[in-house]
Amino acid sequence: MVNITRRAALGLAAGAAGSLALPRFAIGQSDNRASVTIAVQKISNTNTLDCIREQSNVGERSLYPNLWEGLIGRNWLGDQGPVPLLATEWKRVDDRTVELKLRDGVKFHNGDPLTVEDVAFTFGQERMFADSQPTEGKTIYVAGLETRGREAKELPVEIPANARRQWPALLGVEIVDRNTVRFVNGTPDVTIEGRLFQAGAQIMNRRAWEEAKSYDDWARRPITTGPYMVSDYKPDQSLLLVSYDEYWGGLPPLKQIRFVEVPEVASRINGLLSGEYDFACDIPPDQIVGVESNSDFEVLGGTILNHRITVFDKHHPQLENPLVRRAMTHAIDRQAIVDSLWAGRTAIPNGLQWPFYGDMFFDDWKVPEYNPELARQLLQEAGYKGDPIPYRVLNNYYTNQTATAQIQVEMWKQVGLNVEIEMKENWSQVLEHTPNRAVRDWSNSATFSDPVSSIVAQHGPNGQQQQVREWTNEEVNRMSVVLETSTDRAKRREAFRRMLEICEREDPAYTVLHQNAVFTAKPKALKWKAASAFAMDFRPGNWS
Amino acid sequence: MLRFFLLRLFRALVTIALVVTFAFVVLRMSGDPATIILGPEAPPSAVAAFREAWGLNDPIWVQYLSYFGAILQGDLGMSMRDGRPAIELVAERIPATLQLTVPTLILKLAIGIPAGVYAALHRDSIVDRIVMIGAVVGFTMPSFVLGLILVLIFSVTLGWLPSGGQDSWLHAALPIATMGIGGAAVLARFSRSAMIEVLGQPYIRTASAKGVSWPRVIRGHAMPNAAIPIVTIVGFMVGSLVAGAVVIESLFSWPGVGRLLVIAVSNRDLAVVQCILLLIAVTMVVSNFVVDILYGYLDPRLRNNYAKA
Repeated sequence: MVNITRRAALGLAAGAAGSLALPRFAIGQSDNRASVTIAVQKISNTNTLDCIREQSNVGERSLYPNLWEGLIGRNWLGDQGPVPLLATEWKRVDDRTVELKLRDGVKFHNGDPLTVEDVAFTFGQERMFADSQPTEGKTIYVAGLETRGREAKELPVEIPANARRQWPALLGVEIVDRNTVRFVNGTPDVTIEGRLFQAGAQIMNRRAWEEAKSYDDWARRPITTGPYMVSDYKPDQSLLLVSYDEYWGGLPPLKQIRFVEVPEVASRINGLLSGEYDFACDIPPDQIVGVESNSDFEVLGGTILNHRITVFDKHHPQLENPLVRRAMTHAIDRQAIVDSLWAGRTAIPNGLQWPFYGDMFFDDWKVPEYNPELARQLLQEAGYKGDPIPYRVLNNYYTNQTATAQIQVEMWKQVGLNVEIEMKENWSQVLEHTPNRAVRDWSNSATFSDPVSSIVAQHGPNGQQQQVREWTNEEVNRMSVVLETSTDRAKRREAFRRMLEICEREDPAYTVLHQNAVFTAKPKALKWKAASAFAMDFRPGNWS
Repeated sequence: MLRFFLLRLFRALVTIALVVTFAFVVLRMSGDPATIILGPEAPPSAVAAFREAWGLNDPIWVQYLSYFGAILQGDLGMSMRDGRPAIELVAERIPATLQLTVPTLILKLAIGIPAGVYAALHRDSIVDRIVMIGAVVGFTMPSFVLGLILVLIFSVTLGWLPSGGQDSWLHAALPIATMGIGGAAVLARFSRSAMIEVLGQPYIRTASAKGVSWPRVIRGHAMPNAAIPIVTIVGFMVGSLVAGAVVIESLFSWPGVGRLLVIAVSNRDLAVVQCILLLIAVTMVVSNFVVDILYGYLDPRLRNNYAKA
């Protein structure tokens, strides 16, 4: 029998503690992982890092996939489709309910394990919906999720509105057991899984929310499960993410990621060439040759889930007749725009849809053909007399926007359309409802792999175009309801096809010009792959 | 003197009120902050809720009176984009801007005035020509062009200086040089012409004829008289200290008041814009006031006029 004295026991305990500490110290000393600095035009439009509030391509770059993670993830380096992330599996319980199993061993940046309560809280009233109600039924109040003795945060008013747009009929999240949750909808909905991987559906730590002094305090340092955690965020200036070494997916490959705001493209490129930045984002296509003329650098990137479109106000006197709008769609040589302004580095898509729609994608659907003769004929049939059609344009809000508008105006002129550019300073001026509103630019994204995320969300009854009273179509609105609530795949396909026919041919609401593309410049020596997205993936596996 | 002071103060307050009113009308008539801040993808319900929350549905004159009333009580309003008091946001940025503008002012004075005076004293010499060619180039070249040229030389080609950011004092070198060169050119031109004009005055000849040494004529008679137009320009430069680096701060990613102003204007973040405009107006008014006082100090005739007034 071994006798252990109190002193010996203390000594052993100290030794054990030391042995636990030493390897960590050793690891810390040998951490030779790289740190990178990324020059971006903007880090966040809202000056927060809140995924539900920051609903823009801008935020995608800094928030995903390095910081925020959802139950279902996006395959960033692949087809952009859904992949398991914080949930390992999911299944349909019925046409209104999806059940998900949480991944074991996931920890938040504050050390808390991911729980079903965190998931339910994330989709609860206090965080997302406030007093808003789903389109059918009442929100479920999940037991045990009352505010725990702390004052509720005052949500910015746009958060419940954003949340309800994403989850119009979500009744709530039911906790089934310690590893299982159910998302329950008020109406049948085949898109629940898709909605779970869109921006804004990521999981937050409940305790961090409750301990934060205010919404802003929380939103500028959210506690999430991602591979990197927020170390320092200076709105309009910089964001420092540091490796979260306890990340469930393995040790992140970088020690630090620093995003810095450099609004001028010339400054971003100069900073890259002089070695201050490792990545320079938002490189316009006409700068690619210049950057790559230096053999040490390359420009990566390409098309993203976003299409540039030109939008019509059908109430403008010259555009009331759909034949005039149709003529405009046939007068545009889209390939010329892609070749001349984008150096061929983007593509003309199959209308307002994306291949990741799966069986909802129509491969045979095309944008209106470039046919000036047909355009002239349509104008003749419409009795168009050459009256001016105003075209509201922002100064390069979109890449190449002004040049594209000028080319379009010339192409329209070739077929006899008298379109006049009106330069505007901001979106308020572009959308202002006045008698001379006729044509404007826009872009549409697909936030998840179903047409509900694009054609319904943007051009359906609750979409911007109808809400600002530019355009409406009774049949499209009926088809939107079918797409949102029907679970019959064939019926949904038929409804989507009909919507495309109406919106892009019969009664044009818009016309698709080309896919948008995003380009990032970097030294060739850095072995990293760009996603087909604004997001920059620095998770394990994408750095060597 | 008190009447002079009160008159100036009254004029200053009227100027500030006009600036605030003008900015309010222009900004509010040229865009809805809700649509701009939330962006084109925001759902209409979010835009409506935002407008309601910030009182943007009220008639514009109600918004104006409410805003002006708050200013009179010392409340400069909240940033619609940031949700924080506008004064806090602006105050955070002032040190960064002063880190650029104060050294820039010193650089302008240190180069511009001696160069201009020297050129005037050596009028039509080769030195005068070189100084004036340099001044014209510095004066006419837009600051963003000069800035990019300096970055290409000192950052990209030579690798000596950083091209942007605010991480160290070294990061301030190129922005200061860019602004300093342009400002020094202006001062050099003004100093030269002021000195040339003064050197042609009868009292300079008289002083020389009385046997006063030339350096003493320059120090005692020429420079004080030439100082009045120079002080006017310097006063304007001092007035621009808090927001005189709008372009340069954007070019060099320097997080100062100028960059905040650009962001706030583009977002129609009214309270922040107004706060910065107030700051600029107050600085400019104070600077002009000090210049007026200096006029009296430099020119006894003006001093006597003040006294009579």
